[in-house]
Amino acid sequence: MSLASIVFAVLGVVAVAGGITTVFARDVTRMAIGLGAFLLAVAGFFVYWGATFLGVVQLFVYIGGVLVLMIFAIMLVHRSPEGSPELESRHDVAAIAVAGGLFFLVVTSLRGAVPDSVDQGISSGTAELTDAFLGPMLTHFEMGGVLLLAVLVAVVVILGGDER
Amino acid sequence: MSVVLDYGWTLVLVPLALAGLVALVGRPFGRFVPALAILAPSWVLIYGVLTLLEGPEDALRAGSVDWLTSVAGGGLTVGWAVDGLSAVMLVVVGLVAALVVMFSAGYMAGEGGLPRYYAALCLFTAAMSMLVIADGFVGLFIGWELVGACSYLLIGFWFTRPAAANAAVKAFLTTRVGDVGLLLALALLWRDVGDLSYVAVFAAAPELSAGIVTAASLLLLVGAIGKSAQFPLQIWLPDAMEGPTPVSALIHAATMVAAGVFLVARSWPLFSLSTDALAVTLAIGGVTAVGAAAAALVQSDIKKVLAYSTISQLGFMFAALGAGAWGAAMFHLVTHAAFKALLFLGSGSVIHGCGSQELEEMGGLFKKMPITGVTWLIGAGALAGLPPLAGFFSKDEILHEVIGAGPAWAAILFGASLFTAFYIARATRLAFFDGYRGTGHPHEGGWSMRVPLIVLASLAATLGFGGAWLAETIGAHHGSLDVKVALASTVLAILGLLAGWKVAGVDHPAFTRAPGPRLAALMRSGWGADAFVQRAVLRPVAVASRALYTGVDRRVVDAVAEGSAVAARAVGKTLTSLQSGDVQWYATMLGAGAVALLALVSYIGRGL
Amino acid sequence: MSVVIITVGLFCIGLYGVLTRRDLVAILASVEIMLGSATLLLVGLAAAGAPLGAHEGAVEATGVMVIVLAAAEAAVGLALVISVARRFKTTRVDELTEVKG
Repeated sequence: MSLASIVFAVLGVVAVAGGITTVFARDVTRMAIGLGAFLLAVAGFFVYWGATFLGVVQLFVYIGGVLVLMIFAIMLVHRSPEGSPELESRHDVAAIAVAGGLFFLVVTSLRGAVPDSVDQGISSGTAELTDAFLGPMLTHFEMGGVLLLAVLVAVVVILGGDER
Repeated sequence: MSVVLDYGWTLVLVPLALAGLVALVGRPFGRFVPALAILAPSWVLIYGVLTLLEGPEDALRAGSVDWLTSVAGGGLTVGWAVDGLSAVMLVVVGLVAALVVMFSAGYMAGEGGLPRYYAALCLFTAAMSMLVIADGFVGLFIGWELVGACSYLLIGFWFTRPAAANAAVKAFLTTRVGDVGLLLALALLWRDVGDLSYVAVFAAAPELSAGIVTAASLLLLVGAIGKSAQFPLQIWLPDAMEGPTPVSALIHAATMVAAGVFLVARSWPLFSLSTDALAVTLAIGGVTAVGAAAAALVQSDIKKVLAYSTISQLGFMFAALGAGAWGAAMFHLVTHAAFKALLFLGSGSVIHGCGSQELEEMGGLFKKMPITGVTWLIGAGALAGLPPLAGFFSKDEILHEVIGAGPAWAAILFGASLFTAFYIARATRLAFFDGYRGTGHPHEGGWSMRVPLIVLASLAATLGFGGAWLAETIGAHHGSLDVKVALASTVLAILGLLAGWKVAGVDHPAFTRAPGPRLAALMRSGWGADAFVQRAVLRPVAVASRALYTGVDRRVVDAVAEGSAVAARAVGKTLTSLQSGDVQWYATMLGAGAVALLALVSYIGRGL
Repeated sequence: MSVVIITVGLFCIGLYGVLTRRDLVAILASVEIMLGSATLLLVGLAAAGAPLGAHEGAVEATGVMVIVLAAAEAAVGLALVISVARRFKTTRVDELTEVKG
């Protein structure tokens, strides 16, 4: 087994473990940790595949921003006398069926899409990324900015009101 | 000739219109209702007389209307045709109905619901006319059913009395059984002939297979048996006496019950081709004649005596038909109409005067109600067959013909004649002679009740001499008088009369005496016919109905009906749960839909 | 191929969480999992050499866009959750039933 395979395997295990923990944890804290693990593994994957910039952005924005935000929200919302409250799931046959069915269908559909070659990694780097953003994906770039502005305003409106 | 023929439809429509008119204006104009109502049968009578005077044609199709045309060609037409036979019937119906209306003016005065009564009488006249002048089996059947309906209406006139209501239903249902036979006959004929008009059927009759002819004839006979209260469908007639007496005179003596005889006479070209049907008819006629006469021997109600007498006399007519002598049967039908209507109206007069129908409570009425008494005697004599009254001639002709067909049956008919004389003598003595045993004040009725009695008595006395003319008019064979038969029947009649007279004088109630209380009770109940029907027919039907009700109706039909409601509710509830307000459930359903679509596209798309 | 299986599997796990979890925040977390796994699939396929997208850097750029969108969605979503929690004093989905009907 090459180093690459080991890394790939570890990353995969962490990601899956994190995902499962997030979805099935009873404890809020555990769920947050699971999410964090998952996001870290994703960042690792990005770097492993050569999308370094993406991996760094994932680290900063997702983990450093979204995850932290989520933890803040948890702390604000889940106030109860006995420590972290229980998180429940309603285990539903229909949901299992849907998720399982979807898994099966997508995997079988994508079977032809994956070439058999060894991981080459992405052939692009930061320069190509910038070219993309200032070229074909300019609109995306700009709209992203507008979106973030709108979100800022929205959050202020949503939360600014009542509690005086 | 065609002038009269062309207006045949008025025979039905005029009485029909009058029926409606009477029903509508009866309330405010109560006084005039009988006068209005009598117009209907009068018109029928006049028309019949005019037709006879003109000398009717043999035409059996005069005017007709296409009623239903089937795609396969051939259909049902309704029309009228008046020949000798129908003209004679029209006269009988018209005359008796008119006299009955006149009699009712006095008899039914003061009763409630009279517009309904007279309207029903007019309707009956219309229906009977339709039956008689129809040019085919369709028209006949329509009239047939309608007279049955009128009978129901009139028997049950006093419907608040349970006995009357039950009697009406009983009459209707029993004749219904017969009507099924008639309908089947019609179906059979239509299938094999394609056209139900008399002309077509009689023309095709010789070509039909013997089996079909016999089957159709027997089925027609079933219908006739029901309507004419022959064995085994005779149970309704005694009960029909619950209706007003004029109704009994008209419908259950002279006209409607004669319709069965008329049916066979009318269908003679077909009926006569089947020797089996004729044999059965003879047998039934004979059995009924003697059985009913025996039952009449021990009745205590004057109307019941006359009812059983009617059944018995109709049996004579059927026997004549079975012997092949339809002319004799029709002759007796006409004379019987006269003297039986006379007897019934006479009994009506008696009942009106005494306030009772029981022979026990009568007696000595000859002195107190002379006109009724005299006319009654004439009618009784005609019934017993005393010369020179009408019944003598017609009954003798029947006896003569039946001897030719089957001596055994003739003997039975002679026995029935003996009984006939016996019971009528007994009834006469109990009602009209010895001392009055009742509590009322017997008195004669008004002129409206006397005139019909006189008219009918004159007819009963003289009609006998018209035998030859009648036979010629209707196109039948007329047998000349056989002296031996005449002598024998007269002797028997006298013997019977004396015996009956004697019995009535010995002890009354003489019913319990001879020939033994239990036998007498059996005979009085019409040989237990009602009880038999109750046990053999009604009880199984009731049991079966109840079983069907619980087994099928409740369990299956209701289950389906209620089940569909329950199912709808369940589906509704299930569908409601889809609107639970649970967003995740909605999302799950979304996902399920997406998965399904994806699967569809992947697999079916790929297959294509 | 293992990439596909892991990634799609993660996506479906996240989906199951969205459909099943009772707490609003937990649902949001599951959504993040779905988003992350989708991006992972995209980049993984590109890395394996699948012919994706026109421009060279389009794949990475798309990944960045996804992260941006995820961040925006998380921000607004959590703001809403906090607002709901203030108003209804609960974040349990089965207690928030005013849409029922």
